[in-house]
Amino acid sequence: MPKYVMVIDQARCVGCMACIVSCKNENDVPPDHFRTRVIENVSGKFPKLRMELRSELCNHCDHPPCVYNCPTGASYKNKENGMVLLKKNRCVGCKACIAACPYDARYIHPEHGYADKCTFCSHRVEKGLEPACVKTCIGTSRIFGDIENPDSEVSLLLRDNYSYALKSSAGTDPRVFYINRITKPE
Amino acid sequence: MEQVITGLNSITHPHLEVWDWTVAVYLFLGGLAAGLLVMSAVANLRNWPDDEEGPHCIKGALYAPLILAIGMIFIFLDLERKTNMYWFFLSFQTFSPMSWGAWGITITIPLSFLYGLSTVPAGKRNRMPFAFLKRWSVRLEPHMRKLAMINFGLGIFVGIYTGILLSAMLARPLWNSSILPVLFLNSAISTGAAFLIIVAHKSAVKLFYTKVDIWLIFSEIMIIMLFFYSQYTSTAAAKASAMPFFTLSHEYFFYFLSIMIVAILLPLALVLKLIEMQEDHAETLSSATIFRMNLSAIMVLIGGLIIRFAFIYAGQLSTFS
Repeated sequence: MPKYVMVIDQARCVGCMACIVSCKNENDVPPDHFRTRVIENVSGKFPKLRMELRSELCNHCDHPPCVYNCPTGASYKNKENGMVLLKKNRCVGCKACIAACPYDARYIHPEHGYADKCTFCSHRVEKGLEPACVKTCIGTSRIFGDIENPDSEVSLLLRDNYSYALKSSAGTDPRVFYINRITKPE
Repeated sequence: MEQVITGLNSITHPHLEVWDWTVAVYLFLGGLAAGLLVMSAVANLRNWPDDEEGPHCIKGALYAPLILAIGMIFIFLDLERKTNMYWFFLSFQTFSPMSWGAWGITITIPLSFLYGLSTVPAGKRNRMPFAFLKRWSVRLEPHMRKLAMINFGLGIFVGIYTGILLSAMLARPLWNSSILPVLFLNSAISTGAAFLIIVAHKSAVKLFYTKVDIWLIFSEIMIIMLFFYSQYTSTAAAKASAMPFFTLSHEYFFYFLSIMIVAILLPLALVLKLIEMQEDHAETLSSATIFRMNLSAIMVLIGGLIIRFAFIYAGQLSTFS
């Protein structure tokens, strides 16, 4: 069984926002709504400034609060690949998952009313393709793969580098890992 | 540090905006109905001195399903996909408080209705609208005590559920406290008692609930203080989550105001009730006494409503960090 994770090498991110655009294009994300975002943190005092670029998305947690709080089973964790996905026809739009998510990864689809989110482009992954944001990343900052495979790029990166996950103290066991060689980890 | 974020969703930034006044009203009405069930069950199960066995608070049991059903309308209004509501009842999610609540309330409404029917005294059955209701009332009367016990449990369940619904949200430090369900349950029972003080006719019943509400208000004040103390002494995020209530600024004015009103209303209601208990009341209560009792009960109800509103909105300002 594959266990898909995403590794984000922050040093390779150039802040081009192509990941946001490709995600919107691939998944038909409505205007003014986003499944992924890029955070630019500028710290220090001029001229000694330091910029950290960090892209964020659904962490496809191993212990997902959104799934635990969903009253209808619309949000679920795919047992085969571990992705946190949504059965759109079951969603009642109660917004419990949005309130429960520590990563603020969800939004209400303005047209259909369901609590939409990143799916790791599961429709592409099923065909053996990479998620759209990974495919389009010009700095190859986003790397996607199977962590169960010891020879995969994500396994090698996580083995060779210090990595951290966002808000790991929440106990959600996120599956998006960050490699940051420049700035101090959070 | 300067921060620029590209790709924000307005529903989550700068703070969460998912649940509004409809959810606050739902939690209040749910709590009120729960309190009515608990309090009327207590009154009906209690051995009243110098009195024959029988129902002592029929209005609580009769109002509860109605108020609960109205509350359900408000939560229905909050749903983004109302036509999918049936999915609540096609599955049961063990870890989801909302799923427990959907099923629990669905069971509570008919059972509390049956309890209400069982409490209607024989002399008042002719006021009931349908013949089958009269028949049911006659049939259920011998089971009043059993139904009272069941509805006591259901009332506790619904009262706690309104708090657990919020406290299960790990991502919102203000809600993510085990004290919150206790506070909501206490507030629910207290508002239930206050409501019954207003609607009850018998002076003995009014005085009984006034006496009970003194303890409930006292414990509610204690729980509120303990809640904020625990938030203050907890993590940075939990501490920050309580700050809107204690920050007098333009941004947090309504949160500050809400805690101020609660801090005035509840102790004032407590004092009014204590004064009431000092007096020797005749068989029939004077209009001035009834006015004072109703006034303090209204204060408790307003306090309960403000607590729900304040927690719903302030909780959405807080984030896990």
